[in-house]
Amino acid sequence: MANIALPAPRITDASGHYDLSILDNPRARSYYRRFDGILIIVLFSFLALGISIHYALTAGDWDYWIDWRDRRWWPLVTPLSLMMFIGGFVYPIWKAFRLPVIATAVTTLLCLVSWVSRYFNFGQFTDFPLSFTFPSTYIGLGVIFDSVLIMTRSLLISAIVGPFLFGALIWPLNWPLFAASKVPVEYSGTLVSVADLMGYQYIRTTTPEYLRIIEESTLRTFGGSVTPLTAVFSAFVAVIGYSLFLLLGAALYNFAGRYARRII
Amino acid sequence: MNTAKSRSPARYLGNALVLGVLVLLALPMEAVAHGERAQLASMRMRTLHWFDIEVSPVRVNVGDTIVITGKFIPSEFWPEQLPSVTDTAFLNVGAPGPKFIRVHSEVNGVPMIRSTAFEPGKLYEFKSVVRARVPGRYHIHPLLNVKDAGTLVGKGSWVEVEPSPTGEPFTNEITTLTGETVDLENVGLKSVIGWHLVWILVGVAFLAYWLAKPELFIPRYMRVRNLGPEQANTMITRRDFLAGGIFFTISMVLILAGYLWAEHKYPVTIPLQTGKVGVPGRPVPSGPLVVEVENANYELAGRSLTMRMKLANEGDSPIEIREFVTANIRFINGPAAAAGVVENEELVAGDSLHSSVSTIAPGQHVDVVLRAEDSLWETQRMTGLIHDPDSRFAGLLVYRDAEGKRYYQEVGGSILPKFF
Ligand SMILES: [Cu+2]
Repeated sequence: MANIALPAPRITDASGHYDLSILDNPRARSYYRRFDGILIIVLFSFLALGISIHYALTAGDWDYWIDWRDRRWWPLVTPLSLMMFIGGFVYPIWKAFRLPVIATAVTTLLCLVSWVSRYFNFGQFTDFPLSFTFPSTYIGLGVIFDSVLIMTRSLLISAIVGPFLFGALIWPLNWPLFAASKVPVEYSGTLVSVADLMGYQYIRTTTPEYLRIIEESTLRTFGGSVTPLTAVFSAFVAVIGYSLFLLLGAALYNFAGRYARRII
Repeated sequence: MNTAKSRSPARYLGNALVLGVLVLLALPMEAVAHGERAQLASMRMRTLHWFDIEVSPVRVNVGDTIVITGKFIPSEFWPEQLPSVTDTAFLNVGAPGPKFIRVHSEVNGVPMIRSTAFEPGKLYEFKSVVRARVPGRYHIHPLLNVKDAGTLVGKGSWVEVEPSPTGEPFTNEITTLTGETVDLENVGLKSVIGWHLVWILVGVAFLAYWLAKPELFIPRYMRVRNLGPEQANTMITRRDFLAGGIFFTISMVLILAGYLWAEHKYPVTIPLQTGKVGVPGRPVPSGPLVVEVENANYELAGRSLTMRMKLANEGDSPIEIREFVTANIRFINGPAAAAGVVENEELVAGDSLHSSVSTIAPGQHVDVVLRAEDSLWETQRMTGLIHDPDSRFAGLLVYRDAEGKRYYQEVGGSILPKFF
């Protein structure tokens, strides 16, 4: 049994290759298959737990309430937050297994966990309507990101193209979810959007109106072009955030690898 | 090797981790109970003087409205260490989550959808109208969120919400400026769920493509290492490349389609609206009484606050001291029933304000010793006064003239504790 359990027999042939004949052993294959199952559960549970904590800490209120999801901050904060987390995992999973699944796994798991949280914690437990607290979707961005890595097979090129599309497409991807809440309403003589009105009506004792960090402008903003400008800016920010965490993930992976080799 | 045995630790681990995820999900902060007595005593005495608070009716059905009215005066003794109400504030309702929806709120007649700012020493009359949404028994308060300072809580009242007699579910219909009537309880939700399902399907299909491969972690690791860094990219096969291209295209097309669908369905949209609204303060009706506080003591053992002050009646009607209001507690001179107490009103102490002079005649200048004495000092945790970094007090002095007209003004100053 021992030779099956150890993943890497160190026997190499004359041309310097490893002996992979064990992969043709059906018993070994079924053993590895079972081990893969455990690893998927462990990895996905870890990713789900990690992204929900990371996302709650970095994006938090911006994604809890529909009246926080503005054109300017939300499309900047959320892709950066996600790209940072994803960036940390892409390198090790690519280098060790050539598996381009991290972005899709993280965004899909975040989506499922968010629905559970919004339904139970915000809905059943605290009585907020789902129309006010539904999660945004990022799965499309994750799939596009991973597909870019698959098609380019290059960590470098995908580190530029992937996060760029991730940041640039976040608004159009979510627009079909948000548009209904951006319809104008007149309330007490004030122009508000449906989302603002929900924020006013559904009482949040500790999240008053002024806490929202939304729609802050600078003189550089041109008339109606806020959304495309934000998309480009957000894309650049996502590229930088992703690259930094990709490098961090690479450094940790290489360090851990060297350390592991030393003790084995 | 026994299959059942080898699987159970994996299942256990999986369950434990899923449970961990559920436990660690952040509960919305809104669920946290209000800490009415938790704030520093001096904060409650020297921030907002809430008074005349009335909540009515206190027994309603789902869908009915409740009106919360009252007044507040921002203190001129506002603690230096605390960000001021003159910057940004928001009139709110303290309730355990959205058991009610707020349908209207105003201060001095100005609608309070937006945030605003207040001036110390001015009188503000507020009104909040809420509609009951979820059956239950709730303690609701008027509340003021002050930017960077936190939440200032007015006096609470118990409210009973029964289910609607017809059993109808709560709806919240409004008409938009584009002429549609929508229920905010579920506006847009069907499309939201629909689009989410579409994307979950795409994501799960993508993951299934990869995770269904006969070789995943260990075999792939062995092959990657065997191929070496130069050749390892051949692990991504032509089929993988094709699948990636298909998923890429599907996602791009879906994003475009979703965007165009939304633009078509909701042609008129606006950005989120924010900004501040101004509200003029009203002068405090202090009448003809001039007050000068000399000093004050807080007696720990006697649970009483003793204030020595010089009073001058500059009017032509005798003035009688009626009440001292601080930290939402009403210390009343004489029986509570005679002081306009609302049914079930909390934090009222009858016969708890003792004045050395009962009536100040017109033109009279007099030294008065006022003592506010009640066990409420203890139960409302006002005894913490001596632990405050800046030992001062403030409160509202309420008095009336011979015709029964009510006046009030803020009094305050330093305070010294007496330990025996
Ligand atoms: Cu309460």
